[in-house]
Amino acid sequence: MNFKADLTRRTGLALLLAGALAGSGLLAGRAAAEPAPYPVKVVTLVTHSSPGGGSDVFLRELSKYLGKYIDATFVVENVQGGSGAKAVARVAGAPADGSVFYATTPTYIYTSLLSKPPKTYKDLEPLANIFADSEVVFTRADGPYKTLQDVVDKAKKERGKWGAANPASLERQAAEQLKRAAGVNAAIVTHEGGGDMMLNVLNGTLDIGVGEFQELRSQIEAGKIRVLATFNPERLPEKPDVPTVKEAGYDVQLVKFRGLAGPKGLPDAVTKTWDAAIQKVLQDPDYRKEYTEEVLVAKFIDHKDYPAFVNSFATTTEAFLKETGAIK
Amino acid sequence: MNKDAWSGVALLAVAGIYYWATGAIPDSTLEDEVGAVGLPHVLALVLALLGLILLVRGVLAARSEAATAPEDEERDARLPRALGFLALGAAYVLLLPYVGYLLGVALLIGAVALYEGAPRNWTLPAAALGGAVLYWAVFVKLLGVNQPVGTLFQGLFS
Amino acid sequence: MTTFWDIVHLLTGTPLIPVAIMGLTWGILGGALPGISASITMALVLPFTYTMDPAMAIALLACVYIGAEYGGSIPAILIRTPGTNSSAATVIDGYELNRQGRAGEALGISLMSGVVGSLFGLAMLVLLTEPLSWLALAFTPPSYFGLGILGLSVIASMTGGSLVKGLAAAVIGLMIATVGTDPISGVTRFTFDVPDLLNGVEPVLVMVGLFALTELMSQSGSVSLTQLKESVRIRLPGLAMMNRLKRSQIIGCILGLFEGLTPGGGGSIAAFMSYNEARRWSKTPEKFGKGSEEGVAAPEAANNTVASTALIPLLSFGIPSSNSTAVLLGGLLMHGLLPGPRLFEQNPQVIDSLYVGSFVAIIAQIGVGMLLLPAAVWLVNRPRPYRAGFIFALILSGIYTLNTSTFDLGIALALGVVGYLMRRTGFPFLPMILGVVLGHMVESSYRRSLVLSGGDMMVFLQDPICVGLLLAATGFVVFSLTRELRDGRRARAEQARNHKTHGQEAHG
Repeated sequence: MNFKADLTRRTGLALLLAGALAGSGLLAGRAAAEPAPYPVKVVTLVTHSSPGGGSDVFLRELSKYLGKYIDATFVVENVQGGSGAKAVARVAGAPADGSVFYATTPTYIYTSLLSKPPKTYKDLEPLANIFADSEVVFTRADGPYKTLQDVVDKAKKERGKWGAANPASLERQAAEQLKRAAGVNAAIVTHEGGGDMMLNVLNGTLDIGVGEFQELRSQIEAGKIRVLATFNPERLPEKPDVPTVKEAGYDVQLVKFRGLAGPKGLPDAVTKTWDAAIQKVLQDPDYRKEYTEEVLVAKFIDHKDYPAFVNSFATTTEAFLKETGAIK
Repeated sequence: MNKDAWSGVALLAVAGIYYWATGAIPDSTLEDEVGAVGLPHVLALVLALLGLILLVRGVLAARSEAATAPEDEERDARLPRALGFLALGAAYVLLLPYVGYLLGVALLIGAVALYEGAPRNWTLPAAALGGAVLYWAVFVKLLGVNQPVGTLFQGLFS
Repeated sequence: MTTFWDIVHLLTGTPLIPVAIMGLTWGILGGALPGISASITMALVLPFTYTMDPAMAIALLACVYIGAEYGGSIPAILIRTPGTNSSAATVIDGYELNRQGRAGEALGISLMSGVVGSLFGLAMLVLLTEPLSWLALAFTPPSYFGLGILGLSVIASMTGGSLVKGLAAAVIGLMIATVGTDPISGVTRFTFDVPDLLNGVEPVLVMVGLFALTELMSQSGSVSLTQLKESVRIRLPGLAMMNRLKRSQIIGCILGLFEGLTPGGGGSIAAFMSYNEARRWSKTPEKFGKGSEEGVAAPEAANNTVASTALIPLLSFGIPSSNSTAVLLGGLLMHGLLPGPRLFEQNPQVIDSLYVGSFVAIIAQIGVGMLLLPAAVWLVNRPRPYRAGFIFALILSGIYTLNTSTFDLGIALALGVVGYLMRRTGFPFLPMILGVVLGHMVESSYRRSLVLSGGDMMVFLQDPICVGLLLAATGFVVFSLTRELRDGRRARAEQARNHKTHGQEAHG
């Protein structure tokens, strides 16, 4: 499934609905500031996630504010299927004039490596990075574990039970690396997503889970879940008392990046506009408030350095997958 | 040999091909004890066993007396006719990227109606075109699905 | 605390009533289009809710869900194509009633059973969210394995007379379910480097291929039209009929309640199991499969119940138990609403409008259904050649929307051939569909349990829920097999007798 979100291109009942019932907010992001000129009128931001999914929400929120800084209309397009392989192919085949971009996450590296689709991350040109999601180790609040050390100690005595949100994912990799760094015996159980895993942490089936902070927010607020450590390189701004895994004594770090990539051969004018616009949009007070609430960490990497970042991430991942035999 | 026996042979073949395809599944240390090939191997074996039972039963039954066929199929279209119907759909799938959704659906509706014996009068093209416009309105305009435009017409719309 | 006046305000001071009715209508239309599942219908409307008031947006999405779960039964009855996964069980007797010229009756029964299920589900959601939410927590991986096996045990009563063929069909269904990314290790299986296969084969492709395409192929060139005999008349069940359907609807409601609570289901298991249970407890079990009203009522009550009870784990834990509730979760997050206990305290107006909007939608369903159904019946009542063309085009257009992929169309067509061959050689479809729907859950929860226990099989016997479900499954299998074998023998004996006297008239 795949659809355009701009109202002009859609008719029918849904439009009627939106038109009849639209509240405020549609134009909230278009305040005074002068947007930078841009070579194309409409920019399509492609994601492999479904409407309402992680990258989809990210793009839609971002596009609300981008219009202030870049003179174009932003449209989100969901190209699902093939774990991102189809979205990558869609963008790789688009004209490199700055009109189409793809929302990057580690998923597109994993899919490229694991399933060798016709178009991979190598066929895209990373544009810039915007955020890092917060990956954390968490346990149930009424459970016996107060620190990461408690968890490791338990796993030293008997078998630990650790959860990872998805098979062959960044979380899985983090859990495996932590297990190795701590030199313990733990069963690493993969799930069908963060919600599925959280149930098994809450009901005590698992000692800990490794997942995204965002998916845990409501249970953290309700006091049902305790965050033991974060895999981020620095402490979470929202939870300064939670140590990083590295501080807890295990040299494991990971960055679940969120950025943009386009077709190969983007013109300089386009990349320069984006470099400037992303820095500005991250400073936008309204947007800032929104994304800090969601515990997204601003992590701007400009167009010059982003390809190297993505490539080094891919190299590390490839080494991990080869070592475990998931790929040859 | 009767139908059951042939079905048995077909099941054995499916089981064999499926088992052979499990060879392409990579062996990963991220795996559990059952492994990614665990269930597929069991399934292939069970299916082979079931196929064998059917084959033996079919051969034995054929020797004693032809099994009574279910009545339902007496009224069913014969295989060539049924496959011909499906081939129209296959042609649609193959042509879709070239002729695009609107024309593709019109052709499909028209071809199927002809195949099913619609009288050759003005209703036929009218229904085909009307149906295509209706579906285009529902799927492309109302639901916003990106049905293929078709390379033949790309110049016209982009 | 919500007062009476809050509700009056919601109904008169906000656009809740039009929102609910539009959401419902949109949902029925989406659900009725084959291949467009409840979750896709909701996702399609999601972008338009961004600019709406949060309370209205959430009510709208919930009403779309209610409508879509109902809408799926319309094509199931009329053209043997389940509009959504959970209406596959409705095909069995719904289409049979249609063939007997009783489509209007079947549609009326499905409409009213849907309303009953939705009302029950909403009542559970409003009254029992707190106490029921613990149940979602009680399900561990071994419990899910038990649940999956219980679902598979239904196969034993759907073998269509031949155990070997029924099992073979189920195994092939399970094989189809293994295509894609391995649930535990993440390696790819049977994908042959085709990216379209990475996420596996969508169950709806199998249903459409087996049910709808096979039917179209088998009817090809037939002169004896299976035209609806009566004209456009939708008949709502009267009191006497509702009384007769009471038992099957209660079964559907209860099973729907449980499936809604347990993440991973989405309504299909409840629909199949309630069909099976309704047959077991029916006074006329022999009519099942040959046009039983109860066979329509039970699964429709079940899948409509799920549309409300699936919100219980979503609202209390923020855990989506199905694709549809995942879209609703997206809708909540878009508006900065975090599901969980605090949602009820911080945003009571969202909860109120969700509840009241759902209620409005359920009541409006009767009216909207009565308006839409005659049009649907008229459409499928066109001359056969055109009808075949339109249905074929509808199916191919609908399943293209799943992933905008022509590859999916190819899979559906291939499964049409498989279905045709299965029909000609006497293999039943339902076990295969159950295998496809449940394969993933059974395999992943089995392996997950063993990873947890370090390979110790005792893990399944230490989990009380799992033990209970496995015992129930064993009971079902024994019961069903004895009945199936007895019925099969009786049918063969009867057939032989009829054969001697006169040529028997064919039936379904």
